[in-house]
Amino acid sequence: MSVRRHLGAASLVLLLLVYPFADAALGLQTVHAVSDGMIYVLLALGLNIVVGYAGLLDLGYAAFFAIGAYAMGLLNSPVLGSPFYGHAWSFWLCIWIAAAVSALLGAVIGAPTLRVRGDYLAIITLGFGEIIPVAIRNLGDVTVEITGWRPVERLNLTGGENGVNPVGRPYLPGVPFETDPIPWYFLILVIGAASLWAMNRLRDSRLGRAWMAIREDETAADCTGVNPVSTKLLAFALGASFSGFAGSVYAAKLQAITPGAFEFQVSIMLLCMVVLGGAGSLRGVVLGAMLITVFDRVILAQTTFLVRGIGRTLGVPALVALDLTLWRWFFFGLGLVLVMLLRPQGLAGRRVQPVVDAEDDTAPIVPEPSAPPRIDVVPAWLRAAPGREAALLDVRGVTRHFGGVVALNHVDLRVPGGAIVGLIGPNGAGKTTFFNVVTGLVRPDEGRLEFAGRSLLRLRPNAIVGRGIARTFQSIRLFAHMSVLDNVLVGEHCRLDAGVGGAVLRPARVIAEERRARERARELLHFVGLLGKSDELARNLPYGDQRRLEIARALATEPRLLLLDEPTAGMNPRETEALTGLIGLLRRDLALSILLIEHDMEVVMAISDRISVLDYGTLIAEGTPAEIQRHPRVIEAYLGTGYEAELAARGAPR
Amino acid sequence: MAGARRTLGGMGGHLWAPHFRMTAWEILIQQSINGLTRGAVFALIALGYTMVYGIIELINFAHGDVFMLGLFISLAWFTLLGVSGALSPWQLVTLLPLVLLLTMLSTALLNVAIDRLAYRPLRRSTRLAPLITAIGVSFMLENVALLWKGPAPIAYPDIFPSVDILREWFGIESAIFVTTKDVLVVAAAVPLMLGLHHFVTRTRWGKAMRATAQDRETAQAMGIDVERTILITFFVGGALAGAAGLIQGMYYNIGQWWMGYQAGLRAFTAAVLGGIGSMSGAALGGILIGFLSAWSDQYISARWTNAIVFAILIVVLVFRPHGLMGDRTVEKA
Repeated sequence: MSVRRHLGAASLVLLLLVYPFADAALGLQTVHAVSDGMIYVLLALGLNIVVGYAGLLDLGYAAFFAIGAYAMGLLNSPVLGSPFYGHAWSFWLCIWIAAAVSALLGAVIGAPTLRVRGDYLAIITLGFGEIIPVAIRNLGDVTVEITGWRPVERLNLTGGENGVNPVGRPYLPGVPFETDPIPWYFLILVIGAASLWAMNRLRDSRLGRAWMAIREDETAADCTGVNPVSTKLLAFALGASFSGFAGSVYAAKLQAITPGAFEFQVSIMLLCMVVLGGAGSLRGVVLGAMLITVFDRVILAQTTFLVRGIGRTLGVPALVALDLTLWRWFFFGLGLVLVMLLRPQGLAGRRVQPVVDAEDDTAPIVPEPSAPPRIDVVPAWLRAAPGREAALLDVRGVTRHFGGVVALNHVDLRVPGGAIVGLIGPNGAGKTTFFNVVTGLVRPDEGRLEFAGRSLLRLRPNAIVGRGIARTFQSIRLFAHMSVLDNVLVGEHCRLDAGVGGAVLRPARVIAEERRARERARELLHFVGLLGKSDELARNLPYGDQRRLEIARALATEPRLLLLDEPTAGMNPRETEALTGLIGLLRRDLALSILLIEHDMEVVMAISDRISVLDYGTLIAEGTPAEIQRHPRVIEAYLGTGYEAELAARGAPR
Repeated sequence: MAGARRTLGGMGGHLWAPHFRMTAWEILIQQSINGLTRGAVFALIALGYTMVYGIIELINFAHGDVFMLGLFISLAWFTLLGVSGALSPWQLVTLLPLVLLLTMLSTALLNVAIDRLAYRPLRRSTRLAPLITAIGVSFMLENVALLWKGPAPIAYPDIFPSVDILREWFGIESAIFVTTKDVLVVAAAVPLMLGLHHFVTRTRWGKAMRATAQDRETAQAMGIDVERTILITFFVGGALAGAAGLIQGMYYNIGQWWMGYQAGLRAFTAAVLGGIGSMSGAALGGILIGFLSAWSDQYISARWTNAIVFAILIVVLVFRPHGLMGDRTVEKA
């Protein structure tokens, strides 16, 4: 198998190396077209980082292509007329500048989109995609007039509608870039191969996992220690930098650029390539880009030729006059619709194929019994980490309004180190809001939050994770289309520090860090009894296992305080029992403090050291389980007057 | 690749250029009148965006192209009925309403068909999937128009008499130019909007729409046929876009295959500015964007108007995503 794969790869490399010479020998003259196609492949790969990995729909990616091309054009053109012109810098320098400028503008354009998600983000990128060509057109002739005074008159910054012409070629001694398409082919091949190599490594790195976590569930990623701001900006910047390379090579190869080459349609064509091949899959994107380029350049023209021939022999004038190349955008539109309807995951699909069909959420998942958590496999690193001794969460007077509703009203709550504190109350009492305040998702209107002696106020959720507070969610929020192991690895994100350079170059330090991270993740999975399922997609786990995976993910952040939001909700008695055991283990063996929202009174009363009761956002009682069970206000507001009698009457659990 | 697409400055070749002897105030008033007529058309289109977004949280990217096809379809109906020049007063009260109805019906059915074929199968999919198909549909519609009518701007017959009202009816000598066409735009758009308001607030179907927009599951549980409600939404939105297309054609006497994309983005900006999901917000936003684009044409440069409108869109989306009149719950995570 592996021999065959290597053979396949080797023959592909051989084919790519021999192709231009074979083309020249046979006189086919296709090298130019193939090189142009490869530029689009490179662009599609860059877009894939944004759309496929980070899940941010970018409808204006051609803007970065334009920026790369214009950076090259303006710095490497001998044409005078603008302050940028006249210093034809070397291509080899400009290509890096172009990539850097694109990356910078990627971050600049990405910055305002960080506050919005989904389709709004798409529209913002579309807006930028529109503004950039308009700006390039208009900056070719800038006159500023303020009541008759003209500080700037007819300034040509970008060449306007006519663009920049000529653009300098690369210079290498003895290499005929002027006359021969073959050096261009190899130049683009080298850039493309290097980009693929880098992207492949990025995908399988701490950073790649963070992008995918953002794609799957931004809030959950934030609460697992992934900083969505920097992660998204990095996706925009890196994605843009690849288009900077592509744009600068494009400008130098074409020798001329005009603003018309970077319109909305180009963005959509690139999106077509990514979606058709399968967003997130490198092989798919390359395949999609090649298919669309071939379709655009070859199939449309050839089919037109063929249909016209048929028309002539049959004597049908309509067919003779047909020009299918006019229909290209129609076909791209149709392609987008058909791919989304028939195969939304694209031709190559995702790297990890879902076991259960994506549309089939209702399919009954047979709950396979997973091994219960075991005391003897508590990961040593989790148990023994120094400086991770239990700490105190101290919340004082926290208040939060939503409109006119007081969700939290001067709530005080303390979780002493190593304690299990239950937080109970009727639905809508503000329990989850309290969690959201502690984890930074919701800012309190007033009040103090201190953990281990330091304030948590105004910290981002991911920074609070860094301080040692991890949580689970009431409605499980796993990274559904990532593997079980990757889910846990995302949890370790904030304890690792490989950056872009580390991810791509993989020095020994990063390799060791990654190996250790995987070991730890496996130990954690072993501990919660999910080791056998580490390669499954999280979404395919049975319900109880998903709860446990969420806890494993939270533990991977090396917390000192764990917030569990209704961990036994929807579980059957057996699963509940296993989970209760696990929570007890965590406290006993890991010296973890736990704050627990739970409606199952047996669980709460059995494992909590102290219990706080919220009602309408106000703390109405605090005490030991025994005190709470007899507290008149708690009985009135929550437990119900018959509770005590019922508890006494019920012998066996449920 | 498609350089010819947006070489015209603003939307459509604009009729009016400032008289060389106008005072600053007259220019402002004139451009505001222009803005109002433009804005009325944007508002009609924006209503379609906002209704669909309100109910299924989809930016119906193809909606602007339905408007564009509305212009072409209305032209086809006029041609079919043998109209090629100015209408007589009798025709104005018989033929014009008939063509308006036929056009609205055509684009309404087109919009419903788009929903059935391209969006409905993706109701339970991710939110981005129908947005991507909407872009695909938009491209298909544009290219259908391109192949139907060709790339050059087409002349829309000047069927509505243009009378300089101030001068000829009131005998006021003024540099400001208000024609019967300006009145037509407002006189057609306002009743349509009032009708929609009545429909949404006073009828059973309207109530079903509002309920579905608030909470689809609950509406379903209360016995509302959600799919039929969505169908009605697309029908009404498409009808308004068709009316806007007819009005645009009669006012500017020009049409081109890419105008739907342009107008669509401005109308979408209007919907967002007003607060997406809010009908009155869409109407208000449309008028505002009309004013802003007319003023930008005058005081900055028509070349920059597009960039300015998009900048407004971005600023609103980033800093006030619920718009001027929308509620704060629009963008659900």
